[in-house]
Amino acid sequence: MIDPSDHLVVDCDWHYADTFEQVAPYMPEPWKTKFQKSGWGGTGVKQNLSAFFPASTGNRFNYGKIEREFSEYPDGGDDKQDVVEGMDHLDIDVTLQISHLILAMGGISADDRRVESFVKGYVDYMLEEVLDPDEGIYGLAPMPYHDIEASLDVLDRIEDEEAFVGVVMVTAGASPPLGNRKYDPIYERCEEEGYPVVYHTGGSGLDDYVRAGYQDMIETHTLGFLESNMSQIVSVACQGVAEKFPDLEIVFMESGVTYIPGLVSRINEEYLKRSEEAPLLEKKPGDYITDFYFGTQPLEVSARPDLLEICFDMIGTDRMLYASDYPHWDFDSPSVITNLPMLDDEDRRNILGQNAVEVFDL
Amino acid sequence: MSAENRVEVGPAADFEDGDAAIVQVGRVEVGVIKAGGEFHALRNECPHDGGPVCEGKVEPRLVGEWGGPGERVDQHYDDDQCIISCPWHGWSFDVETGEHIGDDRYVLPKYDVVVEDGVVYVNSE
Repeated sequence: MIDPSDHLVVDCDWHYADTFEQVAPYMPEPWKTKFQKSGWGGTGVKQNLSAFFPASTGNRFNYGKIEREFSEYPDGGDDKQDVVEGMDHLDIDVTLQISHLILAMGGISADDRRVESFVKGYVDYMLEEVLDPDEGIYGLAPMPYHDIEASLDVLDRIEDEEAFVGVVMVTAGASPPLGNRKYDPIYERCEEEGYPVVYHTGGSGLDDYVRAGYQDMIETHTLGFLESNMSQIVSVACQGVAEKFPDLEIVFMESGVTYIPGLVSRINEEYLKRSEEAPLLEKKPGDYITDFYFGTQPLEVSARPDLLEICFDMIGTDRMLYASDYPHWDFDSPSVITNLPMLDDEDRRNILGQNAVEVFDL
Repeated sequence: MSAENRVEVGPAADFEDGDAAIVQVGRVEVGVIKAGGEFHALRNECPHDGGPVCEGKVEPRLVGEWGGPGERVDQHYDDDQCIISCPWHGWSFDVETGEHIGDDRYVLPKYDVVVEDGVVYVNSE
């Protein structure tokens, strides 16, 4: 069995625990001033109060049980050194940083420039303060996808920046769903630039993700993350994004792997009955889905081993990307991959790092 | 096709485009379909659930073409492709090839059809 410290480990989903206080100075006006005068200060991802009066069911750090040594999570306010030390601790050589705060963008439905301004500030902040390819710290640029022009602005901003190697589309709250033609200009540009699109689930709206009334995070986190990703996978697959943009790399992050065989089976069953409703497809939608890449976290290591083996077989070990999700409460260490009994060492090396090197051209 | 190994379906003049007739050929049912002015014969048993596929709708296939980024997919009925759809669950097959339009691993067996002296026959071999 391989030791992660002897091999390249690329973490495709490390969350930079940013705060509004950090990002606001980099944001364009008038939002820079609005944020700074909002009185939110450094609250960022602070959940101490919201755990009692929840904006989202429950408490991410499980009412004080979860502590992070190499991050200011859950309050936010990390700096580059937190990332460097955390990578060293986890034996991770390369990370792709994803803003923590942006995961809540799905909760904003107003047609204003909040998300755009935050993203533009975040990109400049990360370039100035955090990202450092020499240290293996890369970034994925969030797309304010409700505004296509703003998204293309962000792509203009990063096109000559080696430190950004792809984009993030937050799956929670995206409406219309992300296979809609509205988003074509983003996909077209990403394909041209060679930027993979990383669809990342999010916690925004978890409490009411389908219906109101769930009581605890074990319910909403089990279901909501899954639903956010599944709803976009179905849209992206059926609307033929992969046919429209055949060189675009598509990655889905953070819902584990056991849902994929079920979704693939169900969507294929639908397709055989309603093929004409997905006219751009040249093969079954499930065959596109298993061509997508998937982040492994949170890997269901307690599942029946034969089920896990089927999941890996259907997705393909060449399509799986190690992701820690650090410093979030349910992060996975590289050992989650190295301890899997059904993989050989080459599979382990590919999932831990080599697949990501190829996908993100690191 | 000799007279002994063929099954008479009926007068060709009785068929309009889109019509289908079911005949017994040996131990199986076969649907004889007129589409695009041509006759086709397919096994009347859907590989999905055994439904009477040839009793379903015969119609042009709805196809889509993408005009480019941001454009709607232009959907229209393609008169050059005719499909027949099982009335039980909607599995649809190309009447010429018998192949499922979404997965060509599913195929309705085909039979030879001839029109002789204005009468339609299916080869029973």
